[in-house]
Amino acid sequence: MNLVELLDQSGLTGRGGAAFSTATKVRAAHEHRAALVVNACDGEIGAVKDAYVVEHHLAALVRGATLVGGRRVRYAAHRGSATEARLRAAGLDVLSAPARYVSSEETSLISLAQGGLARPMTKRQPFVMGGADSEGRRIRPTVVLNAETLWRVAQVVEHGPHWFRAQGLPKEPGPRLVGVGGAVSRPGVIATSAGIPLRDIVAAAEGDLDRSGPVIVGGLGGVLLSRAEAAAAPWSTEGLRPFGGRPGPGVVHVLDPDACPVVELARWFDHAAGESAGQCGPCMFGLPAIAADWRELAAGASPAPARQRLLRRTASVTGRGACRFPDGVAGLATSALRVLSDHLADHASGHCAAGQTSRSSHDRVLAH
Amino acid sequence: MTASSPTDRAAVRVDRVACTGHGVCASLLPGSIRLDEWGYPVVLTPAEGGVDDGDQARAAAVRLCPAMALYAGRPS
Repeated sequence: MNLVELLDQSGLTGRGGAAFSTATKVRAAHEHRAALVVNACDGEIGAVKDAYVVEHHLAALVRGATLVGGRRVRYAAHRGSATEARLRAAGLDVLSAPARYVSSEETSLISLAQGGLARPMTKRQPFVMGGADSEGRRIRPTVVLNAETLWRVAQVVEHGPHWFRAQGLPKEPGPRLVGVGGAVSRPGVIATSAGIPLRDIVAAAEGDLDRSGPVIVGGLGGVLLSRAEAAAAPWSTEGLRPFGGRPGPGVVHVLDPDACPVVELARWFDHAAGESAGQCGPCMFGLPAIAADWRELAAGASPAPARQRLLRRTASVTGRGACRFPDGVAGLATSALRVLSDHLADHASGHCAAGQTSRSSHDRVLAH
Repeated sequence: MTASSPTDRAAVRVDRVACTGHGVCASLLPGSIRLDEWGYPVVLTPAEGGVDDGDQARAAAVRLCPAMALYAGRPS
């Protein structure tokens, strides 16, 4: 059986967030003789699993990347990160990406790999086929695969598709890594699989969803779940769908039960606004506007008009960027509006129980 | 992506990186493009009340976009 057939049978999907079939991607990469970029940037807020794979499973990662192969194989990591240093020490061909949110987006890395800026490109067709950027610069066929995905490729080849399928769910098979952070005692990487209760994943990081604040699943491109929702949800595509979420890039952030979640989320949206690459109008103007609406709500503005404006703006930015960053932030904002609607009413009446509290947990995360 | 079916030809897409919000498209395609609060085009699907402005107007809009940001294809 060849590599693509093995991957097809395993049902492996991309672990970077989009969950696209790895077999399909690798087949296209081979057809178009694409270059390979291994994404080890951990670009999502709170993501730590690419670093973990490079630190603990580098040999297998390199085996996976070599099996997929390509015109040129490069390893992308944030400039100045420990991951970058480890990749260099191993003598690998390293692509240094600026440590900004959208720098490690698929098309940003493809642009960077061809001497351009690490900014998202409009995808008129998948870049695995090659194409051009908005200025007409030629882009050679390039495929981007996440570091965990390539480690899994090596595992599928070594242990077989049956071993792989014995874990997780029939529709979402295989082992997976999740980074758990925030209000937990042992933040870090948890080895798990789809279908495991979110509460068990958080418990493995010594957190307790019976005594926590709400939970952000998927970072800036994710959703907010109430504590009760998170405590009952399985970590899977089906389990998170009712909340508009998905396993995505494998990031779970537990909010501090003693901090005001509205104020916490305001900091996330401020951060998001500053991470726009400033290329696409709806993102460059929409994200700061969403952040401002949220700040206004947090400051106790009458919830109804600010809420209406926020809903209109989140709908307006969705699907209107070169990349999915605005869609992601809009999704987090609408989920936060839903989960925190009572709390926002408390703000309006000046009765937020938590008030202005500790900056510790999220500032650490957002400093990432 | 192929742009061959009638539905495909009857629509335009915006290269969001190239678009700088001149708004020419919204004047030339009033039935299918409106501008958002920051002046950037929103391509309306029929479900969103979009009306076909015709092949000629569409071709003109693609040709006259000052940022060369408009191209044929289904709205994404």
